Amino acid sequence: MRQSHPLAHRLVPPLSPVLVAGLALRALPPALFQPVLGLAMATMRRRHAGAFERLAGLGEPVFLIDPIDLPYSFVLRAGARAPSLTAIRGGHAVRATATIRGPLLALIDLLQGRIDGDALFFSRGLVIEGDTEAVVALRNAVDGAEIDIAADMASLLGPLARPARRLAGAAGAVYSRLAEDLETLRRAAIAPAMRRAGADAARLDRMDEAIAELRRRMRRGRMEKP
Amino acid sequence: MKGTSGTLDLVCPAGTPAALRAAVDAGADSVYVGFRDETNARNFPGLNFSRADLEDGLAYAHGHGVKVLVAINTFPGAGNPGPWRGAVDAAAALGADAIIVADIGLADYARRTHPGLRRHLSVQAAASSPEAIGFYHRELGISRVVLPRVLTIEEIAALNKAVPVETEVFVFGAMSVMAEGRCSMSSYLTGKSPNTVGVCSPASHVRYLDTGDTLLTTLGGYTINAFSETESACYPTLCKGRFVARGKTSYLFEEPTSLNAIGILPELMAAGVTGLKIEGRQRGRAYVAEVVAAFRRAVDAAVRGEPAPPTDLVAMTEGGCYSAGAYRKAWY
Repeated sequence: MRQSHPLAHRLVPPLSPVLVAGLALRALPPALFQPVLGLAMATMRRRHAGAFERLAGLGEPVFLIDPIDLPYSFVLRAGARAPSLTAIRGGHAVRATATIRGPLLALIDLLQGRIDGDALFFSRGLVIEGDTEAVVALRNAVDGAEIDIAADMASLLGPLARPARRLAGAAGAVYSRLAEDLETLRRAAIAPAMRRAGADAARLDRMDEAIAELRRRMRRGRMEKP
Repeated sequence: MKGTSGTLDLVCPAGTPAALRAAVDAGADSVYVGFRDETNARNFPGLNFSRADLEDGLAYAHGHGVKVLVAINTFPGAGNPGPWRGAVDAAAALGADAIIVADIGLADYARRTHPGLRRHLSVQAAASSPEAIGFYHRELGISRVVLPRVLTIEEIAALNKAVPVETEVFVFGAMSVMAEGRCSMSSYLTGKSPNTVGVCSPASHVRYLDTGDTLLTTLGGYTINAFSETESACYPTLCKGRFVARGKTSYLFEEPTSLNAIGILPELMAAGVTGLKIEGRQRGRAYVAEVVAAFRRAVDAAVRGEPAPPTDLVAMTEGGCYSAGAYRKAWY
């Protein structure tokens, strides 16, 4: 989706409903999401002020959050005075303190403390660039904030929170079914390539064995020389 | 004490109040924490406890029958004991169950000023002989010693017969097969070390450069590792850097393999160990919840004399693999 970025060829987005939705939404201007993002940040400040306090030593850091499966990036200004979250297209022109890049759901899981940031980094599911100290501080701040997006959003809805939760639950079930269908599709699409790869791997194993045998014979030949 | 571990104490990490609650909920017997400054060896940005955080954390943990240990385990700079003594005073005033110290002078201050506050000796003190441990117990009233990760189970068993204090060993985390508290490799490249300012390879000196097929790690401006596309990454410490020696590029000091002693808990129990420490105050609460819960189940099974339940903690390890480390030392 982002041919221009130098890392695009390594961080291949997973085939997921997020990717499909991103493709469907790419014609929409990012400004369209701004009211929701503004509301989310206001809620964040109100319910998780401690997270901003943990970032206090960084001044006014700017993070470029780049979900690789969406056609948008997000600029997070995390200074305590006027934090904001803005959707943009691209992001190369942003003078960011640091960039955090990964699949959207992994980034959301990180935000909600459902996965460990170090584990995700070790597995290469996350790419960070720029000021590592700022990234570590952000990771620790959000992990300690016990953010629950569903609960945070529900807090805005008052009496509508209960039906909204039911709706979110139904949407989650639809997402899961769609994800399963896409996984089936992915397996079907790559099956021929996987069969070829399996055959190639077996051939390489046989070649390795043959080379090892030749080396053993060569060593024996050298030892037997007077 | 929670669970069925009897005299065993599952000691679990918490870098934030949320992680403390996760550790308590997952079955910790004790949780260890640090203040938000250079007085502890995990002085990472955005991490650790304010005095108010600790007060809340203590209330939550004690409400669930769990102890809280405060790590004050770096070494005060010459002429600047204030922050360290202040941390000891705060831990005592707030009602911590013990402090974990490394510095002799600070241990002496705690003994004289707060004699009722239990004192554990940090792994940063690198005490591993009966003579050293006996000295800490006799002169400074140390009740428990966290042993360096260089001893075999047989050596730990022999040590436990010769010392008058409880011992605690690491059961999950880094291998750290060196004299902890005396390593200056981080200082060599960054001017900062875990022993003085509480950070090994501080994040402010780390940069990652992803070239597409290679992830380069730099520390203090020097490239210390390069990971191919299919390799797991590891922490940006000099001890886990790769270097060229005799024409071959390899890990010279330590490979990025994690310590996992979950399979040898009965042997550690038989060796007379009291504390089983999980490392990772810098890790997220997802790590804390998963690793603590796995060890809770394993410790309870070991106490009942049952086999360890199956666990898969590979995803939580550095390097994507683990070993029993020095407990089953295969090198000399």
